[in-house]
Amino acid sequence: MTRISSLVALVASLLGLLFASYSTFDYAKHLDRRLHDIHCSIIPGAPVTDSADACRAAMYSPYSALMKEKFWGGVPISLFAVGAFCFFVAFSLYLVVSGDRAPRKAVQFFALATLAPVGASLLMFFISLTKLGTFCLICVGIYISSTLLGVSALLGYLGLRGEIRASGGKVGSPYARPDTGGGPGLRPDVGWTHPPAWLVALALFTLAPAVVYASAMPDHRPYLGNCGSLKVQEEAANALIKMSTPRSTMPTTLFEDPMCPTCKAFHERLLAEDVFDKLKVQLSLFPLDSECNWMLTDPLHPGACIVAKAVICGGSQARQVLEWAYENQEVLTKAGKQGKEQLRAVIQQKWGPATLNCMDEKQTAQTLNRHLHFAADNGIPVSTPQMYFNGKRFCDEDTDIGLRYTLGQIAPEVLK
Amino acid sequence: MSGEGKPAPGATLGPVVGIAAGAVLIGAMLVSIHSAVKSAGERLATPETDKPAVAIADQAEAAYCTPQFKQVLERVLHSCGLVEGQSRRGCKPADVKTFASISDEDFNALFRPLRERGGVILYDTGMEELDDGAKKLIEDRWADRKGARYFLVVARASKTGSPDKNQALSHRRANSVFMHIKESSGEPDVDKKVGLLWLGSEYAQLDPKEFCQWTNSRAGTKCDDDAVNRSAFASWVDCRL
Repeated sequence: MTRISSLVALVASLLGLLFASYSTFDYAKHLDRRLHDIHCSIIPGAPVTDSADACRAAMYSPYSALMKEKFWGGVPISLFAVGAFCFFVAFSLYLVVSGDRAPRKAVQFFALATLAPVGASLLMFFISLTKLGTFCLICVGIYISSTLLGVSALLGYLGLRGEIRASGGKVGSPYARPDTGGGPGLRPDVGWTHPPAWLVALALFTLAPAVVYASAMPDHRPYLGNCGSLKVQEEAANALIKMSTPRSTMPTTLFEDPMCPTCKAFHERLLAEDVFDKLKVQLSLFPLDSECNWMLTDPLHPGACIVAKAVICGGSQARQVLEWAYENQEVLTKAGKQGKEQLRAVIQQKWGPATLNCMDEKQTAQTLNRHLHFAADNGIPVSTPQMYFNGKRFCDEDTDIGLRYTLGQIAPEVLK
Repeated sequence: MSGEGKPAPGATLGPVVGIAAGAVLIGAMLVSIHSAVKSAGERLATPETDKPAVAIADQAEAAYCTPQFKQVLERVLHSCGLVEGQSRRGCKPADVKTFASISDEDFNALFRPLRERGGVILYDTGMEELDDGAKKLIEDRWADRKGARYFLVVARASKTGSPDKNQALSHRRANSVFMHIKESSGEPDVDKKVGLLWLGSEYAQLDPKEFCQWTNSRAGTKCDDDAVNRSAFASWVDCRL
């Protein structure tokens, strides 16, 4: 392995460590159940930008951490990256300092070991592409670092093969000096004792941060389920939307706004965790749009009242309409900002004129009004989404990274 | 061979540097991670002082909900036994005089902000039946609830006839509005929303100069002192109690 490729590997490892550290410390900050900005830039130290949404989506996804049922928020996978990159920094530094005195097996091991971060990055890239539909810049930084590390290690390995060919397969003594022990390119042979030790070291480095993180975790159980409850569990005129499947068991009240990005993300998390189908949902639409919602002075999500009516008019297909609204939220939001007619046209294109006629009916407006009054009667916070299990509120803090842990504590049956 | 049996000068430098760097790096990371998690745990145990206040969902509260207006509304809705399915519905004019403690004119002025929100249902002389215009106006007003919690019906009678008869008549008029809402809306909780007040002909008669200008159920027909007081004013009220 040439000193240059080792140097590149060192830089790649340091960058990987930096990005993995950012990700880890961002994650750890959230263990206090408060809202925090997320660092999300491939430029270290850059200020928070809109791209943080993608990092937040990645952080809140089921793929961001392991053992989410055992620990609140789980053990973030970035911890393993931190440990592994520490090892690769150390090992590449060893190769840089050793230069052409570095044992062949060290170079070979290094090339082989870097397949782990490359493979992990490929896997996460694939998940980002197919499951999240967005790329978090910090994650991209880790993917690039891993790739660079893998490529430099591969180049070093290929250089080694050239050396072996040039030396006719000879190896030197582990104590030999290259200038006196057989000529240039003759590397010492360390036998088979070192590679297992390096492998153990890599494993220990990779696992140690996760072990330390898990052992220091605060106990979140006292904080779960202390966020209020519904005063009125049923809407008097049965106006709320009911959604259930043959697997539904847990009576759940949801307050959602079809134009709210957080609701969309939350809905997707419930689906990804295979939880939504186990909930016996009564959905109270709570559009954050002053056109129908008197609790707001300005429309936070223009057009949300119109889309909410479309969901009501979905009848037995209400879930499909809601999920369509979530999937097409960007288009609907854009149309909503352009005006009512543009938004109605988008809805008509998908659901037909009958839905539009239904949306114009006085009865539909009254039903939506009843949804809003249900929220007012319960004195819920003016925010979405909100989830209540058997009338008991799921804290906002538990609807993202702590979702699986909280479900395991409050309603383990929905995780089975 | 030079150095055989012992490491050549510098041969162990690489491993030593690597091991030292690895130990320092992983050590520093472990301490930092432990510290970050512990610090989050400490913040978790400390109540957040600068937590932004979140608005709480509630019924609407309009500017006209003055203490005096609320006093009238509360008495009508609660003290007179109008709500929660209790048997007695409505307040007598005498009750109004007692609890409102205000002049007729001031009493009517309380409702002035409801001009656009409400409607005046007009009746034939001595009758409490609702015509089609009255039914439509009631249904329209009922449908336009927005954030209101209560629907108030204030029924009157013109001065024609005896006070007792007029009191009974205005009572029936208030009930006719209530029954129509109940039948047309099909809602099970109408009882919990509608407050009835019947004033007969003794208290707070409407001035035709002003109240004939308000939306009524017989647009285009003659509206005078008698006509405007053979009425029930119906409106959602955007006040919290």
